[in-house]
Amino acid sequence: MAQHVLETDGQVCPFPLVEAKEAIALLAIGDELVINFDCTQATDALPRWAAEAGYPVTNFDRVGSAAWTITVQKS
Amino acid sequence: MLVTGLLVGIVLGFVMQRGRFCVTGAFRDLWVTGNTRWLTAFLIVIAVQSVGVFTLDALGVISLSSSPFPWLSTIGGAFIFGFAIVMAGGCATGTYYRAGEGLVGSWLALIFYALFSAVSKTGALAPAVTAARGVTVEASTVHGLLGVSPWLLVAVLAVAVAALARHHLRRRPAAPMATLPARRTGIAHLLFEKQWGAFSTALVIGVLAIVAWPLSWATGREAGLGITGPSSNIVNYLVAGDAEVIDWGVYLVIGILLGSFIAAKASGEFRVRIPDALTTVRSIGGGALMGIGASLAGGCTIGNAMVNTATFQLQGWVAFGFMIVGVGAATRLFITGPSKARLAAAGQASAPAAPAPASVRS
Repeated sequence: MAQHVLETDGQVCPFPLVEAKEAIALLAIGDELVINFDCTQATDALPRWAAEAGYPVTNFDRVGSAAWTITVQKS
Repeated sequence: MLVTGLLVGIVLGFVMQRGRFCVTGAFRDLWVTGNTRWLTAFLIVIAVQSVGVFTLDALGVISLSSSPFPWLSTIGGAFIFGFAIVMAGGCATGTYYRAGEGLVGSWLALIFYALFSAVSKTGALAPAVTAARGVTVEASTVHGLLGVSPWLLVAVLAVAVAALARHHLRRRPAAPMATLPARRTGIAHLLFEKQWGAFSTALVIGVLAIVAWPLSWATGREAGLGITGPSSNIVNYLVAGDAEVIDWGVYLVIGILLGSFIAAKASGEFRVRIPDALTTVRSIGGGALMGIGASLAGGCTIGNAMVNTATFQLQGWVAFGFMIVGVGAATRLFITGPSKARLAAAGQASAPAAPAPASVRS
């Protein structure tokens, strides 16, 4: 199981979600995608996408002022 | 009592920031994922406000008037506006509240939106905009056109929106949705941390949109929520010094900026964020086109798609439709088209080594 990091800081919505979808399409089952983002609306859009796609979220936290990280596992 | 505009604005900015209420996102989702959750939230605002506004009208607190429908400029302007809000990454209110979160791209979009609203309403483009808005048909409201009571339309809208909301509330995602770890409790958690529901946020905004009518009316500004006119007025005041243009709406939009700043700051979500070169250019271009589009169409996503729809003006509903079409065109051009091309390229290039986009580090 590998972990991949997607940096989307500075990108406004919906680009963090669009890039996350592209990145996870290329991962193997079981691999994790760490998405770092600073678009406020993605705090709603990213976990909702993971939940609806059935991907487990193994980490979701703030990393500073207006900065977040979420780890989604491909399943 | 112009200060009531400031208060409504502060609450509105606060609620929009905390609720992540984004009209651009609502329209864009239709084209990106086909999801109607945020569009339903937007329709809830219209339906709630519609009940309130026609009640206020019946009670004589306000009196709704109508004018001939400038169909040509509404269609063209709404399409331009819809296209522009995807470029700018937010509609008029979205841009105001993101500016309050510290996004420099939204500051630029806001400045160019306000500037080009003034250019289109009272400046160099005003003769062209006035001429385009002179192309009208006699009909002005949906109920007038159909020859029915507006209450029939209010009832139909309320029932349809309730059915849509019910559909979404019953739908459960495949897995529970992850939430951020709580660090606060009680009222502080509720106000500054908890994820607000899209529909509860919409209910609050609907109530604020109703309250705006009598408060604005009392100051002589006979309208509900509006963003483009006030933004143009700010520019006119700043460059010409005419204090007469400072009306209830100007206080409202300044309030939105303040309210979202307060919400973002208190939630640890404020930070000055500098966009990259491409986002900067798109924010400026999008902002300028938003000003022109909204002036042509007679309002933005708020003035037209949220307020003129609630009063069943033809201009509101036609603008609503063509904004969605404009959003679709820009979404395809800037978002889904390039994304599909990248995925196709990555698929073709999938050599034995693990393929990954440039931005992914293993």
